[in-house]
Amino acid sequence: MTGSLLLQSLVLGVLLGGLYALLAAGLTLYFGVMRVVMIAHSAFLILAAYLAWFFTRQTGLDPMLSLLFTVPLFFGIGVLMQRLLISRLRPATLTMMSVLLTFSIALLIEGVLGFAFTGTHRRIRLPYSGAHLEFFGASIAVVKLIAFGLAALSLAGLYILLKRTRFGQALRATMQHREAAQLVGINTDRVAGFGFGLGLATAAIGGTALALDSTIYPSLHWHWIGPLMAIIVVGGLGSVPGAAIAAMALGLGQSLLQIPLGTTWAQTFFYLALFATLMLRPQGFFGGRLAQRF
Amino acid sequence: MHTAKRTRSNALRLGALAGTAALVLTGCLSENSAQGGGDGGDDPIRIGISLPLTGDFSEPGKGVGRGYEAWAEYVNSQGGLLGRQVKLTILDDQSNADRVAADYEKLINSDGVDLVFGPFSTRLVVPAAQVAKDYGMLFVEPAGAAEEVFTQGFDNLFYAAPAVADDHYNHLAEKILSMPEGQRPKTAAYAAMDDPFAQGTAYGLKQKLEEGGIRTVVDEVYPPNTTDFGSIAAKIADSNADIVVGGTQYQDAVNLIVALRQLDYQPKLAAFSTAPTNPEFPKAIGQQTEGILSPTGYTPEAPYPSNKEFVEFYTEQHGSPPTEDEANAWTTGQVVAAAVEAVGCADPDPECQGKLIDWLRNNEVDTVVGPLSWDEAGRPQGAHLIQQYVDGKIRIVLPEDAKEAEFIYPKPAW
Repeated sequence: MTGSLLLQSLVLGVLLGGLYALLAAGLTLYFGVMRVVMIAHSAFLILAAYLAWFFTRQTGLDPMLSLLFTVPLFFGIGVLMQRLLISRLRPATLTMMSVLLTFSIALLIEGVLGFAFTGTHRRIRLPYSGAHLEFFGASIAVVKLIAFGLAALSLAGLYILLKRTRFGQALRATMQHREAAQLVGINTDRVAGFGFGLGLATAAIGGTALALDSTIYPSLHWHWIGPLMAIIVVGGLGSVPGAAIAAMALGLGQSLLQIPLGTTWAQTFFYLALFATLMLRPQGFFGGRLAQRF
Repeated sequence: MHTAKRTRSNALRLGALAGTAALVLTGCLSENSAQGGGDGGDDPIRIGISLPLTGDFSEPGKGVGRGYEAWAEYVNSQGGLLGRQVKLTILDDQSNADRVAADYEKLINSDGVDLVFGPFSTRLVVPAAQVAKDYGMLFVEPAGAAEEVFTQGFDNLFYAAPAVADDHYNHLAEKILSMPEGQRPKTAAYAAMDDPFAQGTAYGLKQKLEEGGIRTVVDEVYPPNTTDFGSIAAKIADSNADIVVGGTQYQDAVNLIVALRQLDYQPKLAAFSTAPTNPEFPKAIGQQTEGILSPTGYTPEAPYPSNKEFVEFYTEQHGSPPTEDEANAWTTGQVVAAAVEAVGCADPDPECQGKLIDWLRNNEVDTVVGPLSWDEAGRPQGAHLIQQYVDGKIRIVLPEDAKEAEFIYPKPAW
């Protein structure tokens, strides 16, 4: 192993970790706010990726511009989905039933994508898809850097929203104790709806970031949901910073392990981390007190 | 705290359960209603097929499906087989090896089809061929080219294409090894999907180049669900190999090429199986396709007599000429049809199927990919053409006697 390969793998690992963090952020939010296991999250990522691809194909404009309408659209879908579907589930069996409900939504999205755009593998052709910057001999792909930037911005935004705003306080109060939040006058139904919408809005950003540097097809979401679930469990269900740190650690670990072990074994790292977490620290490594409440 | 823990572990357990249940469910939903038997003289000949219409192989799977359907329509417009119309029953196996076996079991056992055609790709062909063998059915397949297809002891299998996976790159290997000492590449990097066909093509070339003294500096195998090719590309770029060979299907080749470009790796020669012959490939890669090589078992320009009819019929139907997937499906139809016409029967009875198998074992069939004959294990006896992107178009460059354009070496920068 040469030093330059190690540095290159480090760079790739950090960029990959950033993308993972963005893709997983929504998942941890749904679970944190409502204890909903959202299997359809990765399907929404692929849906957003397809919308970005379709937008670019129709208009010839940069796929990033599609965010202007996919983010509000996904927020709206999220609010409606929570109010019309998720909130109808009985609270006692919410977590289990949400798996089935969102699983069916994932299948529905996959089917609609296949119907509308066929199973053909698509890729957005960008003039800068192969462009890269030099960094001490390692190259940083511009598209990966953009995805990383989107991740950093969205996660920072999410963090500030949760920590600094009244809505964020209400959301965190709802996470921590629903009844107590209601007692102090928080409309927890509305907050839960907005929380869900926020989660899906991150899926719109994540999907667009994904579409910049990958080939997409309707069934691709099955390849993503497993690793993303592993990330939020390791990070502590419900903790956004935890998910971000876990994503970064797993992304880096995967990228570095790939040098000695090869791709096949490096993939198992995610699941080994998942098993280790469940055995040693089932509340997750970074969840802290918040996650322990669930 | 305790209830909390239970909720979460329940959620995880349920996730796994829901996954399995949904797989079973979708499986049931995709089945067509079974048709009754009855074998009157004018009944159509029913042909059972399972194809990966969704999942990893959906792209080539649909191509094969289009080829089969075009063939059936063509045969029916010419009066059918043995004077009977041909009717296809196509199921979707979701690129899943368990589903494909169940599909053929159902087609043969409960639908009672008269003949079966093979699915796409080695991973699915092997379990499907096993089912067909258990029922003594002839199994001609369009896309199971890896060596392991032919080493399972199938006595009913024939591969309807010019060459097995290991021989796809034979013309390229010859060309590289015949280069003068100064020009000849010295090192090579291989990246192959963990799939018998994709890996077979790359490793067939690897073996020949290693024997010729070209050193292997990277040999990377990745699972079919790999989404990130950055690390594989980093290894290849770090080795700075003279040539790069991809044992690829489709999306993996596209993602790997883009990842290699992002690391500014410029090989003298780049060869990828399957993907470059796909019409979607230049749309995804853009101008940077120039010089990329790919083996192909088929080209619409091939001079064989039945190919002209095929290209005309298909182009009229679909508005674009057929690709290799459609051609291999059509070839499968031609091979089975030749046997049926020669033997004079088409029913699931083992005696009839046995006659069909014996006939193919001992005869040569003229197809759209040229005359085909097979060895004892069903391996076709030929090699693939080598295509290269020249001036933005994919052209045959090897072998010399079939070339449409000059072989470009070294490859322009991508």
